[in-house]
Amino acid sequence: MTGDILINSLSGLLIITSVMLIGSRKAKSSAMLYSVQSFVLVLTFLAIAKSVDAEQLYHWSITAFITKVIALPALFYYAFSKMSDPKADKPVIHFGWIIPIAGVITMASFMAVESVQLPLVEHLKPALAVSLGHFFLGLLCIVSQRNILKQLFGYCLMENGSSLSLALLANKAPGLVEVGITTDAVFAVLFMVILARQIYFKLNTLDVNQLTSLKG
Amino acid sequence: MSPTEILLLLMVVPFVAAMISFLALRGGEATRKFAIGCHSLSMVLIMILSLTVAGSVFIDGPIQALDNWLYIDGLSALFLSVLGVVSFLTGMYSIGYIGHEYKHGELSGTKVALYYGLFNLFIATMLLAVSSNNVIMMWVAIEATTICSVFLVGLYGQRSSLEAAWKYIIICSVGLAFGLFGSILTYSNAAAVFADPANAIFWTDIHQNAKALDPTLVHISFIFVLIGFGTKVGLFPMHAWLPDAHSEAPSPVSALLSAGLLNCALLVILRYYIITVKAIGPDFPETLMLVFGFMSVAVSAFFIITQHDIKRKLAYHSVENMGLITLAIALGPIGVIAGLMHVINHSLAKTLMFCGAGNILLKYGTRDITVVKGILKVAPMTGILVAIGALALGGVPPFSMFVSEFLMVTAAISEDMPFFTLALLSLLAIVLGGLAHMVACCVMGDKPDEIEKGELSFMTIAPMVVIVGLIVIMGTFIPNQVLHGIDRAALVLLDSDEPTVINILNLPGIVQPTEMLATKPTLAQK
Repeated sequence: MTGDILINSLSGLLIITSVMLIGSRKAKSSAMLYSVQSFVLVLTFLAIAKSVDAEQLYHWSITAFITKVIALPALFYYAFSKMSDPKADKPVIHFGWIIPIAGVITMASFMAVESVQLPLVEHLKPALAVSLGHFFLGLLCIVSQRNILKQLFGYCLMENGSSLSLALLANKAPGLVEVGITTDAVFAVLFMVILARQIYFKLNTLDVNQLTSLKG
Repeated sequence: MSPTEILLLLMVVPFVAAMISFLALRGGEATRKFAIGCHSLSMVLIMILSLTVAGSVFIDGPIQALDNWLYIDGLSALFLSVLGVVSFLTGMYSIGYIGHEYKHGELSGTKVALYYGLFNLFIATMLLAVSSNNVIMMWVAIEATTICSVFLVGLYGQRSSLEAAWKYIIICSVGLAFGLFGSILTYSNAAAVFADPANAIFWTDIHQNAKALDPTLVHISFIFVLIGFGTKVGLFPMHAWLPDAHSEAPSPVSALLSAGLLNCALLVILRYYIITVKAIGPDFPETLMLVFGFMSVAVSAFFIITQHDIKRKLAYHSVENMGLITLAIALGPIGVIAGLMHVINHSLAKTLMFCGAGNILLKYGTRDITVVKGILKVAPMTGILVAIGALALGGVPPFSMFVSEFLMVTAAISEDMPFFTLALLSLLAIVLGGLAHMVACCVMGDKPDEIEKGELSFMTIAPMVVIVGLIVIMGTFIPNQVLHGIDRAALVLLDSDEPTVINILNLPGIVQPTEMLATKPTLAQK
């Protein structure tokens, strides 16, 4: 039972770090907050691994630590060092609105998973709701940002939500599954950063509002 | 060679061709020509091998490879054969199109080599998506199609193409993140209830034990899968990337996106649809398919008539047709047959039209239908082919899309949905009007003085002529082998143990697939 409380508490911390990440104004701070969020996710992995004695999850934790806590934040930090567009850093949605919207998302997610009958998550429904909620928080991150690089954090939040649900529901799955998903997601982010770089050097902007020549 | 070995070879061929093209990135003219030669060989082999594998599956039943990671049944065999043919046609057209762009300095030698490398890699990922039995690998393969094709969309490096590439990768990746969550929920759901969780990752095993899955999670995962992979299919309201990417990509890539990629993503949705129907019954998934499909048709029909950009018009037409296929699946057995037939017919007709649009763009330097006039006088062969293509896309007989659209309407009537049928017919009429208007504007009229008369090249015309032949055959006398393939695919989609389903159509003058099976020796007998 103590393990379940720890897992649910860490999941709650994931929501808080996500909201902080979405609301962060400075691009480099966002990269660091993403690293913190991923670290909380790794801790959640470890808590689940200990709780259900899932050896594979320990391996996932190592992979996740390398890719999500170190590699991706470093890539973002490097990208933000090379590309800067202060005009694009102003968010579309004020932080004051982000908090109640995140609250509504969390509540709706709790209600959605209420009727799940799987014995595996009987005491972990808050954590399952957090994993579901991360999709809509990711979406919120994308629509609330003007900076195309900061929009990528939305995708990363969604990917963290997927990893959490995988760890909760299939914690004895072969490590190859987690490695496959993480590798693909890392490549996706890498290619998005390369494309953002092309846009920055060609159009001299990171502002999504400037990318409006194609309409209709 | 056994069908399994042929399948593995099919996976390897485009990958090798891609590597050769990438090696030619820093090479000279001779190296590049060698890479283009390898690309041509790759396209021919892809078509032959995919049709061989599909034919073998239609006759002998499903095949598995790589410890169950790859699986081809009747449904994926149909999609595989369409992908093989479309890859060949667009690959051949690429030689003419990209050759013209290189000759006129629009693309550098490096970009030409990059194009062929990415083109082959894109096909390799689509082949993997179609053949995958591992639900997570299905997602990985579909995500990989985005990564491989995004730089094809932005190949020209102009403001508009970079913008289109950005929208493409961000919208599709976010959409596919939803698809990933749906895939993980399905897998996790199966892993939690299976005696051996190791098999929970395979679609075949999840399908076999679908009734044991948790119903709430099945509901949630189907919604996520439909939104996620539906983004890649181009269903409304997740279609926003499609008109931009299709219009800004080089025309052979637009054709491959529309006639290849959208089908691959649709196949993944159909895989989950089969599981969902078995787990919780047809009401919920059919309603969602019908709603998303109809909304896609309705919204895109109005965009088609208002667009002035030829390629954007065609892109919205893809949204409309993927919507038609999606809603048809929810209209009972006749609808399923119609939808699967439409997968073939739409892919062929759309390839023809994007190739035609490519020729127009190369000739006139614009895609604006208010500027493009008198194609019939400028390039008569292209003009005739474009006119045929537009009418075929509009569902005019004797071309193939008429047959499948007619079947869809029949299916809607047989399901006792008169108002839905009327609404569908009205929307189809609007689409036909939009395409007829395009023909009237562009193909007819006087030749502009500044445009030089004459066709572009053999390689930009020959693939289009072949497609016209195919859509006439598919519209007038559908070969029994094709009908048999559709039958096999429909049986998988309907999850039916019956020997055949296509006999409900009572088509005149054809050998029923069951009779054909009885008279034709199987590969094993041979």
